[in-house]
Amino acid sequence: MAVAAIPAGGIAGHIHPEPQGFVRRYVFSLDHKIIGIQYIITAFVFMVLAGLLAEVIRTQLLNANGGFVAPDTYNEVYSVHGSAMVWLVIIPLLTGGFGNLVFPLQIGARDVAFPWLNMLSFWIFPVAGLMLFSSFLMGAPTAGWMEYPPVSLQGAAGTSMWAAAIFLVGVSSTMTGINFVVTILKMRAPGMTFTRMPLFVWGQFATAPLLMIATTALAAALAALFIERQFGVPFFDPTKGGSPVMWQHMFWFYSHPAVYIMILPAFGIISEVLPTFSRKPIFGYKLIAFSSMAIALAGFMVWAHHMFTSGLAPFLQVPFMIITFVIGVPTGIKIFSWTATLWRGKIHYTTAMLFAIGFVGLFTLGGITGIFLAAIPFDLHVHGTYFIVGHIHYVLVGGSLMGVFAGMYYWFPKMSGRLLNETLGKLHFWLFFIGFNGTFIPMHWLGMLGMPREVATYDPQFTFWNRFESFSSYLMTFAILIFFVNVLWSIRNGKRSGPNPWGARTLEWQIPSPPNYYNFKHIPTIYGLPYDFSQPLPYKGLEDELTDSPPPAAAGAH
Amino acid sequence: MIENRAEPVRLDSGFWGATAVLTLLAVASIVFWYVFPIDRYLPEAIVTARQVDTLFRFMAATGSALYIFVAGYLVFFSIAYRAKASDPPGAVGVQIHDNRKLEFWWTLIPSLFVVLLSIVSVRIWYEIMLEPENGLVVEAIGHQFDFTFRYPQINGEVTDEMHLPLGVPVTLNLTSAEVIHGFWVPAMRLKNDTVPGLVTSIRFTPRLVGRYPIICTQFCGVLHSQMDKQVLVIENKSSFDRWFKGWQQKNAHASNALPAAGGGAISLQGGDVASGKQLFSQKCTACHKLAPFDQKLVGPGLLGVLHDPSHPNLVNGQAATPPDVATILQNGYTGSMGAMPNASANGLSAKDIADLVAFLNTLK
Repeated sequence: MAVAAIPAGGIAGHIHPEPQGFVRRYVFSLDHKIIGIQYIITAFVFMVLAGLLAEVIRTQLLNANGGFVAPDTYNEVYSVHGSAMVWLVIIPLLTGGFGNLVFPLQIGARDVAFPWLNMLSFWIFPVAGLMLFSSFLMGAPTAGWMEYPPVSLQGAAGTSMWAAAIFLVGVSSTMTGINFVVTILKMRAPGMTFTRMPLFVWGQFATAPLLMIATTALAAALAALFIERQFGVPFFDPTKGGSPVMWQHMFWFYSHPAVYIMILPAFGIISEVLPTFSRKPIFGYKLIAFSSMAIALAGFMVWAHHMFTSGLAPFLQVPFMIITFVIGVPTGIKIFSWTATLWRGKIHYTTAMLFAIGFVGLFTLGGITGIFLAAIPFDLHVHGTYFIVGHIHYVLVGGSLMGVFAGMYYWFPKMSGRLLNETLGKLHFWLFFIGFNGTFIPMHWLGMLGMPREVATYDPQFTFWNRFESFSSYLMTFAILIFFVNVLWSIRNGKRSGPNPWGARTLEWQIPSPPNYYNFKHIPTIYGLPYDFSQPLPYKGLEDELTDSPPPAAAGAH
Repeated sequence: MIENRAEPVRLDSGFWGATAVLTLLAVASIVFWYVFPIDRYLPEAIVTARQVDTLFRFMAATGSALYIFVAGYLVFFSIAYRAKASDPPGAVGVQIHDNRKLEFWWTLIPSLFVVLLSIVSVRIWYEIMLEPENGLVVEAIGHQFDFTFRYPQINGEVTDEMHLPLGVPVTLNLTSAEVIHGFWVPAMRLKNDTVPGLVTSIRFTPRLVGRYPIICTQFCGVLHSQMDKQVLVIENKSSFDRWFKGWQQKNAHASNALPAAGGGAISLQGGDVASGKQLFSQKCTACHKLAPFDQKLVGPGLLGVLHDPSHPNLVNGQAATPPDVATILQNGYTGSMGAMPNASANGLSAKDIADLVAFLNTLK
């Protein structure tokens, strides 16, 4: 048997023919770009649903005695809101969505390492999402996104559906993590050394092992909860010998790293957008890259800082506090480096840039309150209060979601070939920025003064600020509505972008928008970092990309 | 592209002007956090509440100073270095990749700050942990959806309000009947979860007379948000004593036994010592020795549990009686000695319980 000749340029050098037919191209696609867009569209659909739930929450809290929905319904609403925003919106957008769409292009690959696995990862995700929302039909979970037993053992039938749905999302995440690690390790174009990788790729490279390793702990916990609820095997019920605190350990062993799953890729987006629109190299490239890895590693060693009130031995709590403080150092380095990147730049105020600068400002506030919460004595006061709710929204909305919006305005031309409308974009940014701060800033002092989280009614002395928050949240929702209008309008009527509307220097901008099915006609060779705005581009082999020349003939069928 | 690799990078007067303004703002914010009267908005009801507020002042002051610099430079750079219409096409910023000295300092200073914050936090944490242990012992038990309280020398459970005398150190043991609750008194700046199967405890010394809401901070079921109606009352010794006597009389005939799960008293008639002994060796010896109380395996030694006067009392201060032991066997135990599974988890029938109690009653 003859050994097949390996085409020039190695394995990556060969091009599969583009599939014909709508289903193979756009539904069961193997193309990382299409899969990325599928993730983004699906996650935004879930964001609309979970966002409406958020407005049910805020409408209920207009009055101290609630009254908009029944308490049990309210508990279902915030539980599904939190679960959906974490697992169906932020994580899929930042990993499956922007990860798939962008990083293979940035490392000069034709696809991810395992396209079939990638397709499977995606298709599990909408199924799991529908399962999660269908839990409303049988009584949704009520114990928040954390579902602490024993109260979650008492929850309605939908709690088991919740566990099954989140388990499936976890399977999807794990496979995505494996795919991304292998792709980054094995499929970089020649010359794309680790110290030349764009920082978005570093963000994904730090995130993917978290997806792979941490998610398995969550899967074990969810399986145990499902088995206990359905078959009565006592993992968590203390009257039968189980341990409710074990759930908390397993849950947070995943869910603390999950916070970094939700922020490291956003760090990557910001690290691309800031230098591009400052026309300046990112400041301190190496420290930004290494600090991502440091955060990912240390992220596994801090989970018990969520459990300072759970009855752990006191001497065990101190190291968790100190390691959490330590994570502030690499995070601070990034924040300082982003700020320094702006210094003496030539700053162009695109919407993407506004969101990136807004990200740094808002995420920093969430980071600082995170340090507050790590200090045990203060945590013993504000744990389980609205202070936490304010903190997590500063990190996940002011941080992750602002990063998503920056990424949408930045990469939309690469997805569609058209620009999003900048006027609507700026309106979106400013309304969102004002509405966001109005919604979440007061939560900090409400929590400190005595308002616990996850409540359908509250002490009437807090009415003013709750109304202030609710009205601000309507403004925020209106801003997001503008964003969706912008996307739907621009996809047909937006200005044509051309390959590189931003003057950006990473690889994905050197090929057409949207890219061809095979990404690169010839796999390029990389000679340096992509951030030297005064130098020629550090790539060779891209001469044909923007011409009409056909790609090299597809390698033989196999 | 235009080469713009500026010679030695210089900080201009604009930068120093902005830095001066930000420094003033940062100092003002530090002063603000140190003079802000936190206790006017939320009283400091126990001794360590003031320490927690001190820690908060320290973090809020340093945090807002840091934030003022980050946000201030972000805004200043964004305005000062915006691209202008007069720039030549393709103008780029100053091409600086990094600055080792600057990066060294902004790694070192936060690292030193982490050390400082760790020291401050651990010290205050120790002050909270090292509150006296030999004070008044009170037990709070979480239920769906209220707390009940047990005091030494008061039979049964106290409901509605938890009273504590001013200035007397308190050890508050927390546990729960079914699900996890959070026991939080905002004015104490202190909370702990009440976990079924575990006893956690917090210690503190009340320092300010007043009525302070007790709030549940862990979601515990449909009426979780209603679990903020109870009050911690800190009062003078004399009014505390009046309240205490009142409950002693009111509860004079209350049972100290916990109610049996599923209702119904357990009949101890006809317990058989021989089969109880056999059951003990099958079901109990994994955790309990037939030895004095302090010889602990998982649970305490059970020699003389019903007769030895040195065997510790139940939390309400009473000596154990056969119905008490039967209740513990039936419901399981959650308390300062640990946790024990209930009868169904241990595979004990009502007859088994009667046999075991009969056997334990023979141990003198």
